[in-house]
Amino acid sequence: MRYTRSAAVAISATAALALVTGCGSGGTSDAGSSGSGSSGEKVDLTLWLPTQEDSQKAGLETLVSDFEAANPDITVKYEERSVDDHKTALRQVAGTDAGPDIYWYWEGPGLGGELVNAGMSLDLTKYYDQYGWSDRFSDAALAGITQYGQHDGIPWTLQGEAIYYNKTLFAKAGITGTPTSYDELVADADKLVAAGITPIQFGGTVNWHVMRLLDSLIETECGSTVADALNTTQKGWDSEPCVTDAFTALKTWGEKYINQGFMGISNDDSSQLFYTGQAAMALEGTWFDANLTDNGVNPDDIGIFAFPTGTGRLYGFGEAYYVNATSKHPDEAAKFLDFITSTAEQEKVVGAWAAMSPNVDVAPATGNPLHELWPPIFKAATGLYINNDQNLSLDQTTEYWRIQNSVLTGDIAPADAGAEFQKFIDANS
Amino acid sequence: MTTTTPPVARRDARRADPPRPRAKRSPFVRALPYLVPAGLLYGYFLVYPMIDAVRLSFYDWSGFRTEPQVWVGLRNYVRAFTADPVFWTAFKNSLIWVVLSLAIPMMLSLLLALGLNRKLLGRNLFRSVFYLPAVFASITVAAMWRWIYNPTLGAVNQGLKAIGLESWTHQWLGDPKIALYSVFVAAIWQSVGFNMVLFLAGLQQVPVELVEAARIDGAHGLQIFRNVTLPALRPTFVVVVILTIINSLKVFDLVVGMTGGGPAQSTQVLALWSWTQSFQNHTFGQGSAVATVLLIISLALVVPYLAWALRGEDH
Repeated sequence: MRYTRSAAVAISATAALALVTGCGSGGTSDAGSSGSGSSGEKVDLTLWLPTQEDSQKAGLETLVSDFEAANPDITVKYEERSVDDHKTALRQVAGTDAGPDIYWYWEGPGLGGELVNAGMSLDLTKYYDQYGWSDRFSDAALAGITQYGQHDGIPWTLQGEAIYYNKTLFAKAGITGTPTSYDELVADADKLVAAGITPIQFGGTVNWHVMRLLDSLIETECGSTVADALNTTQKGWDSEPCVTDAFTALKTWGEKYINQGFMGISNDDSSQLFYTGQAAMALEGTWFDANLTDNGVNPDDIGIFAFPTGTGRLYGFGEAYYVNATSKHPDEAAKFLDFITSTAEQEKVVGAWAAMSPNVDVAPATGNPLHELWPPIFKAATGLYINNDQNLSLDQTTEYWRIQNSVLTGDIAPADAGAEFQKFIDANS
Repeated sequence: MTTTTPPVARRDARRADPPRPRAKRSPFVRALPYLVPAGLLYGYFLVYPMIDAVRLSFYDWSGFRTEPQVWVGLRNYVRAFTADPVFWTAFKNSLIWVVLSLAIPMMLSLLLALGLNRKLLGRNLFRSVFYLPAVFASITVAAMWRWIYNPTLGAVNQGLKAIGLESWTHQWLGDPKIALYSVFVAAIWQSVGFNMVLFLAGLQQVPVELVEAARIDGAHGLQIFRNVTLPALRPTFVVVVILTIINSLKVFDLVVGMTGGGPAQSTQVLALWSWTQSFQNHTFGQGSAVATVLLIISLALVVPYLAWALRGEDH
């Protein structure tokens, strides 16, 4: 089915982030169904997802083995690939019988929406009715599922992205509180520079890392309405003065506040600067909690605050499990999805993929002290603005990154950046 | 005393052989059963994809099986030449890579081969050391050099600081003006050893008697090199030049591993841009158009050179 990206983003953006407040209401019928394949025969379900890290792998094993124990006639075989290989593999099998029964994917229009558009996602509306899933998940989580006009998949995570900061370095620079406006953020960055501390770290070789800063600056300078219109190419990038302001701010950050030589290193390399206390801030997502503790950072030294865009929206995106439209076992696939999002199972694995479970009846994870910093941030947010590599089409994203990097390297003037991007959009429309 | 078989006996022996059927089939026909399997595989896995890529360059296609391929004629080429902001950067970089590869690593390989063709202590050890980088996978080489160039922890900048040349430190991969050349240095490091081995093999074919004769005639080292060694190395040069051109135009994994084509697409090359258009942007028609341009450039460079070189061989 077809959809419009502007509608999709608008739905996501206006959805309240109520995962922790449980505005989707509790009391779900999710005892975790058991039994055999609906046809009574042995069924093999295939599941494709990106490579899972240690705790995620253990969580997945738990979910699969519990499901197989409860459903002896169904076997779940999962295949992991690197992020890019996962995207490529799914695109290659779209519309064929070679795909999996279930696949994990990002919800944004440029990724999940692309596969929905290609007819790969099965409409799960009847299973939402059958299993009462609408009550199991929050409205915020469901906004990403229903954004294309049907029920595409079930929500798995809602990842927020915000600024992690080193409390010791902030104190050393004389910063006493977290910034509540963009001007305060810039003032804090100036104080850090004055104290001889690198304010924020980025790795430029993976374009999407610095993109987080540009996306947030567009949200800051343009406001949520104009930013959504720009990011869905409903407004011309060459006609909004705020675009020039955002690119000018980006250039300033590149020249004054980002770690030296960031264009030549990856995010993994630049993260080392934050782990080792050589940079005061990192614009990362909920997954970074585990990265920090895994790299020996004392969580008590770390704080988190939302990028102060002034719009009240939080930066982030959703991830979901989808059922392939060509699956020969949609009932069994739905049964598996019902099982893994049930309260009983989610309580076993909460925190493995995100601090908060998609199931509104499951309390946030407490294993990592940093997880506890997220609920207030989600609660305070009035909506979501999504990473632009999930908003824009693939070729637009490539060009968006080229222009972003060209501004940072001085090859494109900030005043020309918007027009340059619009020229590409027009030439390829 | 020698014994000979009487002629009669030999004739009898011939008569005793069973009559052989006369070979009517040509050698090619007899070779066909052996050629067909390889030919089919070659056709299916090499020729067909190549032809299909050219065909696809005239279509608009997202790569999804569910979406149709739409005939657009030359539009992908027009777009590449007039509206693609990266194509000409990739085109220029590919040509720069070819020219530099023919100039620098080939020269270094030849000098190393000449040096290591002499009798000197540890000659085989040096040959192995210089050849070693050629056995590494390009992606491994890329990972190594990425660390070497790391602006804060890398060996290059650390080394420059250690000898008091801090002002020379640089963002080797982060500065679009020099990033391509920084990647090229890694390519030199990796490729010199392989060409050195080819030249060493070629040097073994230089007739010793000709060198000796030239020396007796009073020729000095440079004259011997120019008039005896170089002509004898001609077949090796043909191989090295062709391989260098082809490998230069194909360069992909080293760039992906070190810069991903960045910063700001400044190290983009045609092979990588074709792949990016097809598999990242999912504009298979445009990716195929770039691949076709690359194929034409490759043929335009290699075929005339090969024809010229082979004509020289015949003479």
